[in-house]
Amino acid sequence: MKITLDILQVLMLILGAPLVHGIIARLKARLQRRRGASIWRPYAELFKLLRKEELVPPTSSAVFRLAPIVLFGATVCAAAFVPVVHASALLGSRGDFFLFVYMLVLGRFFLSLGALDGGSAFGGMGASREALVSSLAEAPFLLGLVAIAVLATRADIAGMVAWTLEQNIFNISAVHILALTSLAMVILAETGRMPVDNPTTHLELTMIHEGMVLEYSGRSLALVEWASAIKLHTMFALLIALFFPWGMAFSVSGWGVVVALLLYCAKTAVLMILLSVIESAVAKLRMYLVPDFLGVASALSALAVIFTMWVKR
Amino acid sequence: MLTGPIGAAFVFLLAVLSVLVPLILIASRAEGARRLAVALIVTASFAGCVVAVSSFLRQPGPVLDLSRATPFPFSLAVDRLSAFFLLLVCAVAIPVTIFAAPYFDLHYSERRRNWTWGFFSMFLLSMIVVVTAATGFAFLVGWELMTLVSAGLILIEGDSTERRHNVFIYLLMMHVGAAAVAACFFLFLPYSHSLDFGAIRAACLGMPGGIRAAIFLAAFVGFGAKAGLIPMHLWLPRAHPIAPSPVSALMSGIMLKTAVYGFVRFAFDFLAGGPWWSGYVVLVVAAVTGLLGILYAIAENDLKRLLAYSSVENIGIIFLGLGTSLMFLAHGAPLGAALALVAALFHAFNHALFKSLLFLGAGAISNSTDSVNLNELGGLQRRMPFTGAAVLIGCCSIAGLPLFNGFVGEWLTFRSFLAGSTLINTKAQIILPLMVGILALIGGLAAACFVKTFGMAFLGRPRSTGSEQAEEAPIGMRVGLALLSAGCLAIGILPGLLLRPLVTLVQVLVPGAGVPEETLSIARIIPWTAAIVLGTGALVALFKRRERIARTWACGLPGLTSRMQYTSTVFSKPIRFVFARVYRPDRKVEELPADQHYFPVSISYRSVRTTSYERALYRPFVDGVVSLAYRLRRLQTGNIQVYLLYIFLALVSLLTFLRFQR
Repeated sequence: MKITLDILQVLMLILGAPLVHGIIARLKARLQRRRGASIWRPYAELFKLLRKEELVPPTSSAVFRLAPIVLFGATVCAAAFVPVVHASALLGSRGDFFLFVYMLVLGRFFLSLGALDGGSAFGGMGASREALVSSLAEAPFLLGLVAIAVLATRADIAGMVAWTLEQNIFNISAVHILALTSLAMVILAETGRMPVDNPTTHLELTMIHEGMVLEYSGRSLALVEWASAIKLHTMFALLIALFFPWGMAFSVSGWGVVVALLLYCAKTAVLMILLSVIESAVAKLRMYLVPDFLGVASALSALAVIFTMWVKR
Repeated sequence: MLTGPIGAAFVFLLAVLSVLVPLILIASRAEGARRLAVALIVTASFAGCVVAVSSFLRQPGPVLDLSRATPFPFSLAVDRLSAFFLLLVCAVAIPVTIFAAPYFDLHYSERRRNWTWGFFSMFLLSMIVVVTAATGFAFLVGWELMTLVSAGLILIEGDSTERRHNVFIYLLMMHVGAAAVAACFFLFLPYSHSLDFGAIRAACLGMPGGIRAAIFLAAFVGFGAKAGLIPMHLWLPRAHPIAPSPVSALMSGIMLKTAVYGFVRFAFDFLAGGPWWSGYVVLVVAAVTGLLGILYAIAENDLKRLLAYSSVENIGIIFLGLGTSLMFLAHGAPLGAALALVAALFHAFNHALFKSLLFLGAGAISNSTDSVNLNELGGLQRRMPFTGAAVLIGCCSIAGLPLFNGFVGEWLTFRSFLAGSTLINTKAQIILPLMVGILALIGGLAAACFVKTFGMAFLGRPRSTGSEQAEEAPIGMRVGLALLSAGCLAIGILPGLLLRPLVTLVQVLVPGAGVPEETLSIARIIPWTAAIVLGTGALVALFKRRERIARTWACGLPGLTSRMQYTSTVFSKPIRFVFARVYRPDRKVEELPADQHYFPVSISYRSVRTTSYERALYRPFVDGVVSLAYRLRRLQTGNIQVYLLYIFLALVSLLTFLRFQR
């Protein structure tokens, strides 16, 4: 029973991901006084791309074709680490957060290689910028998680979530606030959202993620887009699980799971609204201000780790 | 002691490398003789692997005592720590030798080939002597031989002034290191009365703290110079790139590990942990080494120099583990110490595999394209798919990606940092978890560095005619590459293969440790993640896919050219920009003609990194020594009366000294 629920959680993160993208696009459109497309549009787009013929640059090699597959596989594997409706996940209690973060690195590594294999100027541009952002984002990401892990004295994500569930919501410490802030900043950078990267742009001066996927089409593009949607959804689920897990089912009972699922949807909705407000209100940072942005995140997460010394009993 | 088949195999290993192979090569210059020599080296290395594995499983291992024939006690013994490093040396030696056979044939004239193989064999022998030495004398003999023979191997490739200068720096720094190592043994001598390792170990218990601290520092400096810890890394990016690629593979892959072996032998086996501050010192030096090493690597465009700097980085990661282990020992937490030590040794083994793989890959590239400049490569994956696949595995491993072996070592180091938070009443409980951030930064930059390396060399369009006309490497080279990449994959997916024996080994070095739980959990989880990643990948690869080759739209131009691609220099530009304070670049832009600013005929741009350790650290030291020597020269006037006065003064002062001593 438990394992079924764990698998359902992963499927939910994977299959629900395009919907999250769709809702955010719709919310942003509304905030910008446009009507916006249907929230189901990303699914239609995926189906369309999966059916279409793929155009491949003549100079590209097997790496170009392999990259989206590895990216997708690694992202799905990362999704299997995160608890959604109960404090457990398929790999959540055996694997720890280091493995989770490095799974995402694996995907990104291959996507960058695929971008370079396109042989055009934009792929290299995207890969080079991605290299900068991701290499600087890794430290605050891990440090923020370390702070929570030190408090919970566990390193597996499911264990950390279970520990948080036992705490009182009013009993949160400075460590949590600092870690939450830094992780939220890192997630904006990792998933390529504003102010670090603009997911809707195709202007060569600014694009990072879009530059990397410019040469992709057909099935490969579908996999890349789906994987980035899964990544965003997984990150939302991670934030919720680590900082607002209250309401998750303690045991695998019918009603508990239903309530937990509804609460999860509500929490995700709040995050989606926040993200679309940020994306509509904030201008994109200049490329060389991104290190400052991530530097602030690193400082916050380092502070979070330092403060654990006093919070821990 | 030398009984049974294992003893015989050990003698066979030493005899082949020291006597048989050189004799064959001296006796004959025929092609067949060389083939025989190569076959013998491979067989001997295989015998070495067997000796290592069996003496690891069944202690005591073989002991070879030659003390009667040598002026000082000289004996070799294979205990568990030696067996582990013997396996490392021999396991990497096999693929490198197989690779080197066609490589040396293609690159050297007949006469040089014999010399090269002779030195090659002696180089392997010297490293085996170092890791199996059971007396200080044997250790120092092996240590010295290793330096000299590798210098010889570098000089075989050519002897231009620049090369000689680099080799000179290499030899100089190695001898400073060797002096420090020798000093360690002399510091032991008054207490142990013998250079035998057993006696030294026993004597360590009763030594005063000051002497122990001095030995620790001398060992750290001595082995740190060999390992290439910053700022003693100066020789490494000079010596490794100019050696022939298989020799670079041995130097980076194995020779650096002998320094790790030496440090573990001294700090853990003999001293059983240093003074309380030792962990902090090692940790700080290691963090600086790792961070600066990878930053310098990412700015390099010469593939072999890039790999050399990345060796500096990886040595940093290994010493991060060792420093953490010392810290745990100082705080009386053997379990954490065991975990961190396992992490360091595990990473040392992995680095031997993937770094020699990458250096061999660089050899295959230079063999096919006559260049190792990343700005001249590109598009090789389509031309050399096999080499490309092997190098890709190496790049993934060294970047620390999960499912490859580099990840497991970094993961263990991460977890040992995290375990530091369980220490109580010490600053270490904060410092160690914060080190996660440093290692994460190193890991992130390493991933960026090896995206660049693989992307620039193998992907996209070729940037020169050399890489345009490149052909796949010959079969011997491919076998060498395949063996090493298979090793990386096997340990990456089934880390338990190596972790279980390592845990056993660490029980000996850190008494009372028990089995760290993390080593079990990683071995359990990695195959599952591999199954999920590969399963999902296979599932989506089943989706129907039609493909058409189409030229990329080039904004209306006739077509894309390789000059429109990002180059290696440009790729690393954002990172070099952000870390400009580290590189302190010196840029020169020259426009011709100089007066026409808006319509120049040609613009040349040059940017050089100016963080020079020679200028900032070594030059003042050398200047100081030289000026002191000049000052002392005034004593020598050439006047015989003055010399008589010196003798008289010396006599008087000696007599005075004796008078007051009584």
